[in-house]
Amino acid sequence: MEVFGNLAGGFQTALQPVNMVFLFAGCLLGLIIGVLPGLGGTSGVAILLPISVYITAASGPTTAIIFLAGIYWGALFGGVVTSILFNIPGEPWSVALLFDGYPLAKKLRKPGLALTSSFLASFVGALIATLLLTFFAAALADIAITFGPAELFAIFILSFTTLVGLGSESPMKSMMMIGLGLLLAAVGFDIITGEPRLTFGRIEILSGIPFVPVTIGLFGIGEILASAEEAGIGYVEKISSKLGFKDLIEGLDALRKRIVMVVVNSILGFWFGVLPGHGATAGSFLGYGIARQYSKNKENFGKGEISGIMGPQCAADASAVGSLVPMLALGVPGSPTSAVLMAGLFIWGLQPGPLLFVEHKEFVWGFIASIYLGHLLTFLMCLLAVPLLAAIMRVPYGVLTPFILIISVIGAYSINTQMKDVFICLIFGLIGYWLRKMKYPLAPLVVAIVLGDQTERELRKALIGSGGDPFVLIGSPLAAALMALAFALLLVPLVRTLRTRRQPASGDAPAA
Amino acid sequence: MRPYQVATAAFFILIAAVAMFDTRSGALPDPTGTAPGGLKSGWYPFWSAAIVAAAAGVVIFQTVTRPQPVEGAFKDRGSLFAVAQLVVPMIVVVYLMGEKLLGFYIASGLYMAYFALFTTRYRWYWALAAGLITPIALFLIFETGFRAIFPKSFLYPGLPF
Repeated sequence: MEVFGNLAGGFQTALQPVNMVFLFAGCLLGLIIGVLPGLGGTSGVAILLPISVYITAASGPTTAIIFLAGIYWGALFGGVVTSILFNIPGEPWSVALLFDGYPLAKKLRKPGLALTSSFLASFVGALIATLLLTFFAAALADIAITFGPAELFAIFILSFTTLVGLGSESPMKSMMMIGLGLLLAAVGFDIITGEPRLTFGRIEILSGIPFVPVTIGLFGIGEILASAEEAGIGYVEKISSKLGFKDLIEGLDALRKRIVMVVVNSILGFWFGVLPGHGATAGSFLGYGIARQYSKNKENFGKGEISGIMGPQCAADASAVGSLVPMLALGVPGSPTSAVLMAGLFIWGLQPGPLLFVEHKEFVWGFIASIYLGHLLTFLMCLLAVPLLAAIMRVPYGVLTPFILIISVIGAYSINTQMKDVFICLIFGLIGYWLRKMKYPLAPLVVAIVLGDQTERELRKALIGSGGDPFVLIGSPLAAALMALAFALLLVPLVRTLRTRRQPASGDAPAA
Repeated sequence: MRPYQVATAAFFILIAAVAMFDTRSGALPDPTGTAPGGLKSGWYPFWSAAIVAAAAGVVIFQTVTRPQPVEGAFKDRGSLFAVAQLVVPMIVVVYLMGEKLLGFYIASGLYMAYFALFTTRYRWYWALAAGLITPIALFLIFETGFRAIFPKSFLYPGLPF
């Protein structure tokens, strides 16, 4: 089969010494970022995105994506350590691990088993998801290559409405964030006519609002400010962080007993990740829910049940890998982190989407092969370096915070070497912080900023092609079906609200 | 929380209103047939802003009519102070990082030292170490290693940064 040949070529690319060095560096940085509570994987990838420009210049875009994705894989594993050992989620996707990971480590005094169970589940989940990605992404890209502007526009609309319809936050707030993202993306020259829009006579913003400083601000600085408010983290309970061979054997035995649940959760997590807007965080909660629902030991959940660790962890990793499928095959990011990775592709001069599989085969398959290697590498690093990772938690907040802010400044400045981008980053840092406080979702905002230009381009290309006839947008059966699905997804929150209202009230109403 | 939620949504309505006013000439499809595809350049931003305004209006309505958490936007004065302690020096430092002021490296070093001294309450020699090691390491990585150019201080070219 062609896929195997491509994958073998991909391994040849990924195994080149320079790629392995950057994969190692990415995974290590990701592990450190994952362990630190004040900084998320998405922020880490966003902050280091501009560094990838230098890596691209030196070694090419394949090395750059391997490095950035390595950060993501590392962060997926790293968040586990703090959740289990310190009861502090290092990452949003490791929150679900607090329910059973910490009790197993502390109350049942089995920190080694809790950690190895989690690492093993991560590895198996990612492996299954990467296998699915290997076969599914190329097939999807083969189909997508035949899409015209109307179908692509419908896919973008569907990705936006998925964020509104299936998001856990207020649908109206999600809608607002999408509108805001599209508006920000529209600032500057019109992509078709070249007329300036929303520039208010300022030549500095004629080229538009750069999305890299915006993303670094929203995620990096916004998160730092949010965690500064919660800085009472100070007290950290010490639990043994050593891993022994016995723990690994016990973990493997636990995995053997739960292999069906792990495989099912990984497959479901993967498909969940494929849906736009659903990265590892949503996947981990889905995994916990499924593991609990179908467990024979429901009463043990919350008290240190291993299924409560393996279930969310394998689903989180599988979702993270799954979120790369629409990014690679359709040019639609499946999660905030893949939106940032996609921004990287634009910066390196690549156009994500089906043509990537044809025009940049080596890049795509080298990247896919690196996902296998990245997870294996991170898994081994975790087994060997847990005590070291736990020690990172003891680096004082007062040193880490300014350092992360300086790195954010470097990231914002590096793309265009302009201080105005640093100020944009700061402004969006404050906006991101406030939006977090007001419970506005940031993922729709970032996805809309990244996709805004392309959505408009496909819409106007479709209309130009049809001489201005809007029915071209539902002219083909596929475009019509995607649009109908998008519309149906918009109705989901409404149906949910109506159903909740019809159900008889139980318990006391919350205080006004 | 209610007043903060309403104020936030109202602020977005204001932004949307400004954007809609600026692009109002392109709000409707072009009847003359001169615009490519029948849409002028203002159509897309106008309706994006309209989405923001409409959704913000619904958010305000929901906030006013539905029960809201009683607590304010900040936990207490301490948390507000913690954020201000971070934001104010950050703005000052970014300003000072500009070309011909302190430049990126000196401002970064001062920022690290300031934090080590006043936030972590480190001893002065540790603060000095943080203030020296960070910019030197960054200089070696970015200027020497990656050949990236960051804003230099008023001391440049006397000093390399």
